[in-house]
Amino acid sequence: MKSYISYFKLKFITGLSYRAQAIAGIMTQFFFGFVYISVYVAFYESNHSSLPMELDEIVGYLWMSQSLFSLIYLWYKDSEIINMIKTGNIAYELLRPQNLYFMWCSKILGERLSRVTLRFLPVIIIAVLLPKPYNLDISITAFRLLLFIVSMIFSSILMTVLVCLYHVICLFTLDERGVVNIFMVIADILSGLVIPVPFFPKFMQNISNILPFRYISDFPFRLYVGNIDFNEIFISLGMQIIWILILFILGKTLTNKALKRVVVQGG
Amino acid sequence: MLYFKYFKIHTKCELEYKMSFIMSFISQFFVFFGYYFTIISLFSKFSNIKGFTVYEVLLTFGIIQFGFAFCETFFRGLDKFDDLIVYGNFDRLLLRPRNILMQAFCEQISLIKLSRLLQSIIVLIITLINIDITFSIDKIITLIFMLISSVLIFLSIFILTASYCFFTVKGLEVRNILTDGSKHMAQYPIGIFKKGFVTFFTFIIPFGFVNYYPLLYLLGKSDNKLLIISPLITVIYLIPSIAIFYKGIKKYSSTGS
Repeated sequence: MKSYISYFKLKFITGLSYRAQAIAGIMTQFFFGFVYISVYVAFYESNHSSLPMELDEIVGYLWMSQSLFSLIYLWYKDSEIINMIKTGNIAYELLRPQNLYFMWCSKILGERLSRVTLRFLPVIIIAVLLPKPYNLDISITAFRLLLFIVSMIFSSILMTVLVCLYHVICLFTLDERGVVNIFMVIADILSGLVIPVPFFPKFMQNISNILPFRYISDFPFRLYVGNIDFNEIFISLGMQIIWILILFILGKTLTNKALKRVVVQGG
Repeated sequence: MLYFKYFKIHTKCELEYKMSFIMSFISQFFVFFGYYFTIISLFSKFSNIKGFTVYEVLLTFGIIQFGFAFCETFFRGLDKFDDLIVYGNFDRLLLRPRNILMQAFCEQISLIKLSRLLQSIIVLIITLINIDITFSIDKIITLIFMLISSVLIFLSIFILTASYCFFTVKGLEVRNILTDGSKHMAQYPIGIFKKGFVTFFTFIIPFGFVNYYPLLYLLGKSDNKLLIISPLITVIYLIPSIAIFYKGIKKYSSTGS
């Protein structure tokens, strides 16, 4: 256990040293947040019919997704792990006494958490200071905030096991494009990062309710802005736990299977 | 011609890995579908955006995606230009007695991105069937100008971001703001945004002339005949971009060994 925490720490601390990258990231996130919101503002100004989300809700949703973007986006490959698989250096990893799956998980989580640590606050602060209707509303009841934090913890774990699963699949395909890319694009759309799930057509909403992707980003953010029923919160938290278990078991067994017939590329 | 020879080689090279090619082609399809899906979903909840209906927005979307996909397919070498510089491979190009910009184009040609180009054409066709425009000669010319200018503006942006590498060596993430960010906004008619954006997209990056001002004419929202040729302004944008590129070459010092 201790060694996995060290992997996590190592990745986390290394990640913190990339300051220039973080500044570029903050600017990108801020810019995109602003762009998305401008589109919605234009939509809301020209329509007054009943809509699935209020404008301030959607603005909050978008700022949350932008500030936590580096933690929750699913279009992510760890180039270090991919290179290991492709060059055959994975052989060294297999010599270590640690379990490959847990090692990868702790590395991924460490990397992602370090990225979000540098980017989260600046984006939030700028978003709060913006003029109406672009600003982020941070008035929230303590109870809802608590639920939000719990859901975000689950969502980080869910993200980790899902992203780790991509890399495990790479063990079979030996290629990070192709299947993995298709998987990632579908995950990206269904997670609600492209547009919030309430704007999906009905049948797509049903699909995304069953699959894990929406519980990584759409659910915590809607919980934050209050666009969700009380019962649904607890059902969704349950769904997060169920999917964490499913993806964890799937990833773990697949890793074991892959390692039985591992192909070490390169010489 | 030289470009076509390169084209053939790159194509053969990509088709060598058949399975990977097919899979990537499909994944590109889904990426594009994501963009398309956004607009369709939004318009299923909203009836219009500042007076523009779904097909009118899809027209601007299609035109922008067409230009972008066209440049990504055929001028991808520029998109990956920082690799050339970082690994010092750019020196190779300098030694050859051919046009450097031309060689940079040839460096990479991605047939996979053709998937997006095809889809943008499909979107355009669907849109043009359903949109409420009575086509006359001048409107068809406007549309063709819009398509050409869309390619030109992305070409200029590609050249600009490529020449940026001469000055910083590594292309920073910031340049994504310029390409992806402005692409995202330009998918909608620029006029729907607040004044600051409109000025920016008229004078600094002239996307407005690609898909907004001529669109007004196309949809009959304006009768000003000047708008027909307004997309051609992007040609003027291309010239300084090329000039900056050549200025960059003069400044270039090799990083390779």
